[in-house]
Amino acid sequence: MKFFIGQVMPYITVTIFLLGLLWRVWRWTGALRIHNIALSPFARNWVDTIGIILAQILFFWNPWKFDRPLWVGAWPMHAALVGVLGGHAVGIYFMGTQFTYIGLSVAASKQASVLLGQLVGIVFLVALLYLLYRRIAIEKVRAVSAPSDYLHLILLLAIVVVGDLMRFLPSAELEYEEARHYLAGLFTFHPVPIPDNWYFIIHFLLVQILMIIFPFSKLVHPLGMLWERWIVNRPYQDTPLGLPGVRLTLGGPAGETTASKGV
Amino acid sequence: MAAEKKLKAPKKATEAELRAIHIKPVPDEEKPQVALELLRRYKDEWRSLVMAMETCVKCGLCAENCHSYLGTRDPYNIPAKRADLMRKVWKRYFTPQGRLFGWLVGAEDITLETLEMWYSYFYQCSECRRCGHVCPFGIDTCEVTMAGRRILHQLGMVPKLHATTGAAMLKSGNHMALTPAGIQDTLEFLSDEIEEENGFRIEFPVDKPDSDILYVPSSADFMLNPETLKGAARFFHYIGANWTITTRMTEAGNFGYLFDQALVQKELVNRLFQEAVRLNVKKIVWGECGHGWRAIKMYYNTMADLPHRIPITHILDEAAEYVKRGLLKLDKSKNPEPTTLHDPCNYVRACGLAENLRVLIKAACADFREMEPNREKNFCCGGGSGILFDDPDMYELRIKFSLKKAEQIRATGAKVLCAPCSICKAQFHPMIEEHHLGVELYGLIDLVGRALVWD
Amino acid sequence: MPYIEVLGQQIEVDEDGYIQDPSIWTPEIAKAMAPMEQINELTDEHWKVINYLRDYYMKFGICPMIRKLCKDTGYTLKKIYELFPTGPAKGACKLAGAPKPTGCV
Repeated sequence: MKFFIGQVMPYITVTIFLLGLLWRVWRWTGALRIHNIALSPFARNWVDTIGIILAQILFFWNPWKFDRPLWVGAWPMHAALVGVLGGHAVGIYFMGTQFTYIGLSVAASKQASVLLGQLVGIVFLVALLYLLYRRIAIEKVRAVSAPSDYLHLILLLAIVVVGDLMRFLPSAELEYEEARHYLAGLFTFHPVPIPDNWYFIIHFLLVQILMIIFPFSKLVHPLGMLWERWIVNRPYQDTPLGLPGVRLTLGGPAGETTASKGV
Repeated sequence: MAAEKKLKAPKKATEAELRAIHIKPVPDEEKPQVALELLRRYKDEWRSLVMAMETCVKCGLCAENCHSYLGTRDPYNIPAKRADLMRKVWKRYFTPQGRLFGWLVGAEDITLETLEMWYSYFYQCSECRRCGHVCPFGIDTCEVTMAGRRILHQLGMVPKLHATTGAAMLKSGNHMALTPAGIQDTLEFLSDEIEEENGFRIEFPVDKPDSDILYVPSSADFMLNPETLKGAARFFHYIGANWTITTRMTEAGNFGYLFDQALVQKELVNRLFQEAVRLNVKKIVWGECGHGWRAIKMYYNTMADLPHRIPITHILDEAAEYVKRGLLKLDKSKNPEPTTLHDPCNYVRACGLAENLRVLIKAACADFREMEPNREKNFCCGGGSGILFDDPDMYELRIKFSLKKAEQIRATGAKVLCAPCSICKAQFHPMIEEHHLGVELYGLIDLVGRALVWD
Repeated sequence: MPYIEVLGQQIEVDEDGYIQDPSIWTPEIAKAMAPMEQINELTDEHWKVINYLRDYYMKFGICPMIRKLCKDTGYTLKKIYELFPTGPAKGACKLAGAPKPTGCV
């Protein structure tokens, strides 16, 4: 079983993940009928549109403005997610020495790496618990939830709990070198046996399950947002103002009128 | 068998009324299948609907930002749950996870009950798109409501109000079945009123060929909101316009947009361009109607049978430009009462009119007060998309839908409510009474017209 | 389709009581409809309004706007509501045989 989870399944998982995403996005893109359904905020040009989208991605602008209690859970949770993913990639690749680039000693860098991992892991855990609490206890959130909405949160929590245990319990910890060696084997298509650490094996398995269901769930919402906002927040040009054949015109001597200042 | 919860829904059109809009109802036992076929076609074509179905994460932000949920506290009036009435069917038949896992992922079979729920809740949504504005992803639940209503229409489930209005549109080119003679007579009466008030007469040109401007008023102006017609006439007279109204298409609104988005919606678009060509106009100027302005501004390219090059703008955008350049002499003391502005949903969330409304109202009124929230964050009047039903159940709902709005108005202390949209006016006339608001109701070009200073 | 009985004849009305075929209207139909609109008896004042509306509708194909109705009959809006408690559109126009108004009203 360790052989399957460690050396076979990852390839299946990544294939399903990538092809699944492609297929999902293909279905969206294949729907070619797009009406002009401009929705506030209005973009006068593509810079505006990118600004609108970035404000949502970086600051979770709408939840901040329109549902602060949601923002309190959602933003830290996603920020921690980014931290965790970045931390995994950078930490494992550099084996904890990434902060020597900003002048720390190797030992200090490794300490910082561990500390950041622990911090982000706690924030992630607390935020997920808060979001799960909201889904259980707040009527409006409960009303719109299907069983899978709870299951997604529980799966994420399981991944984070095991990950946090690996960060906090010395007996559960996996050395960077071992992790790097194992992952390098996968990436180079020369897989090696999975480390003999049940926390890691369970963590790795749960992550793979997440990746398999990802393309077939609401977890594709980062892409969904881009496709959606391209429709509603892209720039539209307004019809120029200025009434023909009137005694009192808008313009100066040349009869010029200004174009409308966009929507 | 669980007891059937009584669904609140508008009176349905009869078979005769459906025939008048060229619909043959589908027998009950076939309705779910036909609905599914239509939904399948939309899935393949209609991207904004696809994105609404696929991107929602059920965060619940939309709930307390929707006037219909705030007023009724009915969970199905939460936009995400309203959309779920369609999404659960979508998942069941069009997604692998829905086919495999059913209720676990929120997927459900489609039945006649599903369609009755659609009918009830897609006609409790006013298509105001505040949910779309607040959603982190910009999901436009209005697209879901529109898709739902289109499917229901083809099944033969249409409110009596929409069906009979649609029939009037097909017959006479306006919502109220106004006749050319009736239009002429009403306008002459209004010219009389202007003469009494201004001391000089302004005629309304009707069906005048070789006009430069075709003005398209809301038909409701002829019955409920004549001050809006008078305001427009005063504006056109002030700038010395060569304008006309046409009796063949006297409708700034488009109820077809609100239920069939096909034959009935196209009728007015086609009449519009036929008349614009017949009367040889250079520009079309739109009157005070929210959904109608959105429908023509955004959809005429896709709805007209032929591409057209005659530009279309809104009278309030044009008038605001004049005010910005200081070309209209306005006397604010003609509108002395504390006045507040209701931002019609389609103006501010779809058509970008928010600032121009303020340019006009601040120039025309002595004591203008903002509501909170305002502009694109404003709440719907509760009557949007023609849910102006008068059967007892639905009328009670209208009172609840306008609850948030009433709070906003009361908080301003205003004596005059300016609402530059016909459906809003139709909603506010009774709701002002129901909520004991004690305000007078006007459109915006009305107030501008009253404030004009004549040499 | 519901109906009302007038002088032994069945006249088709819609669910709100508006007659389906405006051309068949007679004063007897108005009398039969009056109780539905909370009117006990149609007085001369009622008939002044009803006849005005009927004439206008036959001539112009629509009901006049309320202001014009008030001006031409000389009755204030308050008076119209006293005569027709359900209002000028629902009460008076219905009794005059006009169809139910559609659109943003």
